[in-house]
Amino acid sequence: MITVQKLNHHFELGKKGNKTILPVLKDISFQVEKGEIVSVVGKSGSGKSTLLNLISGFIHPTEGEILIGDQRVTDFSETKFADFRLKHMGFIFQSFQLIPSMTAFQNIELPLILKGESESSREQRTLEMLNKVGLESFKDHYPSELSGGQQQRVSIARALVLEPPLILADEPTGSLDSETEAELLTFIKQLNTELGVTFLIITHDEEVARIGHRTITIRDGQLIEGADA
Amino acid sequence: MKWKDQFRFIRQNIKKNKVRTMMTILATAMGCAFLIVLASVGYGLQESVVKDTLEQQVVTEIDIYGFEEEGEYRSLTMDDIDYLESIDGVKAVTRRNQVRQIPMYMLEEYKAEAMTYVTHFPSEVEAGLKLQDGRMPEKENEVIVGSHFRNYLSVNTDDENIYDEETGEVKEEYIYPDDLVGKTINMEVRQDLEGENGTHTISLTVVGVLQEPSREWMQDQNVYISESVYNEIEEFTGTPGGELGIDPGNLETDTTDTFDEVHVYAKNLEKVQGIADKLEENNYAIYSVVNEMEQINMLFTIAKAGLILVGTIAIVIASIGIYNTMTMAVTERAPDIGIMKAIGANPKTIKQIFVLESSYIGIIGAIIGTIVAYLISVLVNIGLPFIIEMAFEDELPEGLQFSAIPPSLVFIAVGICLFVTILSGMRPAKRATQIDVLKAMRREI
Ligand SMILES: Nc1ncnc2c1ncn2[C@@H]1O[C@H](COP(=O)(O)OP(=O)(O)O)[C@@H](O)[C@H]1O
Ligand SMILES: [Mg+2]
Repeated sequence: MITVQKLNHHFELGKKGNKTILPVLKDISFQVEKGEIVSVVGKSGSGKSTLLNLISGFIHPTEGEILIGDQRVTDFSETKFADFRLKHMGFIFQSFQLIPSMTAFQNIELPLILKGESESSREQRTLEMLNKVGLESFKDHYPSELSGGQQQRVSIARALVLEPPLILADEPTGSLDSETEAELLTFIKQLNTELGVTFLIITHDEEVARIGHRTITIRDGQLIEGADA
Repeated sequence: MKWKDQFRFIRQNIKKNKVRTMMTILATAMGCAFLIVLASVGYGLQESVVKDTLEQQVVTEIDIYGFEEEGEYRSLTMDDIDYLESIDGVKAVTRRNQVRQIPMYMLEEYKAEAMTYVTHFPSEVEAGLKLQDGRMPEKENEVIVGSHFRNYLSVNTDDENIYDEETGEVKEEYIYPDDLVGKTINMEVRQDLEGENGTHTISLTVVGVLQEPSREWMQDQNVYISESVYNEIEEFTGTPGGELGIDPGNLETDTTDTFDEVHVYAKNLEKVQGIADKLEENNYAIYSVVNEMEQINMLFTIAKAGLILVGTIAIVIASIGIYNTMTMAVTERAPDIGIMKAIGANPKTIKQIFVLESSYIGIIGAIIGTIVAYLISVLVNIGLPFIIEMAFEDELPEGLQFSAIPPSLVFIAVGICLFVTILSGMRPAKRATQIDVLKAMRREI
């Protein structure tokens, strides 16, 4: 599903003439198979989010290649990557990233609108997702009127509404209490077994990492297979 | 993303900032209205001037001055008349020769000096000449007179006060009081032979009076005689056309073979241009109201272009408001845009939404501006003549229109308005596409 080859990334800091280079990822290579849940762990600042942002196409790598499915996404233009994200990837963020002026229903419907689905199929599909995450009765609530767990469920529903084969999650439980966290992890497991959705989950939480079939550790920008952080 | 959904997005966005959007629309509407009203003065005055020019002349008439031959002009002959009559679309060709002195006409103790013409009556009738009284001449000594001829036929008195002080016309009591039709009047022509000033009197019968000219201020006091009377005058003076002050004996050819005044009448207005073009092609020196119209229109086109340019400045100023509004909208919505981009919104779609939003402001502004411009135009047309008459105590010509808004002006104004507003929304829209996903999601923008 995901192939990362000899990935290097550094950030350039400072203004022109006074630049410093901050290397973040060094020679990272790994694979994620279809249907796998892979956890990426590591200390804060080790470069986990940077890795995920590179795979998502939010930033462009300094060096190396990323393949998703059989597509070499590192060659994609911004527009092509946007389309690719819409159709092949779902995202779960630590801070949910819901649009505050839209209701739960509208937030979940957004990817369907972007894809150009018809209004009737949109409504049906959105209600289906609301049902799946158990928020039917909250469909007209705005994000500010929902609890953190409910918001994260809305964002999961939004990530899944177009049935992407791959879901990328950056600290999905970071803003949740332990009870909601457990609920969410169960849900992820269920989606994986029922629908065969592939997950790449970034976390610094051992508990969360444990739901992965496999764990990858990043330390000082370098990759270590296994959970020996 | 479907158009319908894009419009829904825009509606929601506008709802969120109603007041700001309204103010921007207002500014755009004012700019658009200013442009239209300003230019409408050019259109209105042009319409008035053109209408006035058309009313003052017979629009289907083409005057022919002569025929150009090797850089010189010669008078038209009967051959030319035949050719002119053969042109497609020509209704009639009238031709006149003028007696080259002003004869004195006498009836009882009443006298008048009047310009005298010989003309071809059948073609005049075809061209639209009508009598208010009597009939057309049939015999050689029969004449018709212009509608105002009688007004000048007055008693000869040394009393200077036969003229009305106000109008400058002869007072009613000094004018010949009767109908002229059927009356015999004497025409007296002079001669200038070797210092001897003789006169010759020809007796004529008035058989008809012409209808008044179509315009109030035009007067026709002419006398229209037959060719044989004309020849008699020439014989007496021994000069072409009875001209005085030149050597007699110059009467070599028959002067009535060529014509002083030739007018071509087209069947309708649409035919005038074609005929005029054809005549010019064939070296005739012509004048028609269509030519004059071209010059007037050219002048007004330049004036209108200038006014539109000035009006466009107002729209450009309004567009700065749109630029501002859109820039603020993009900044405010940057987090939302970041999220949308993250989940896969195409940058082109995002740009489209913002361009559509600025176009929406432009369109609504243009519509409101157009409506307001129409209202102002009506008010100006009603109010301005009133004010001018009050302020300057000057009577304005009737039917004068200050402001006119033809559909073409609306198209131009709305077009300029849309062009400028869309252009001003372009940069903010482009900025929206360049929003960095990660920064936006971190709420750093
Ligand atoms: N946009 C950026 N510009 C400069 N430095 C960055 C940027 N994003 C991340 N970094 C740096 O890269 C390193 C890795 O950050 P990150 O990938 O967010 O770590 P993690 O998610 O594992 O906590 C950190 O030192 C961070 O300061
Ligand atoms: Mg992180």
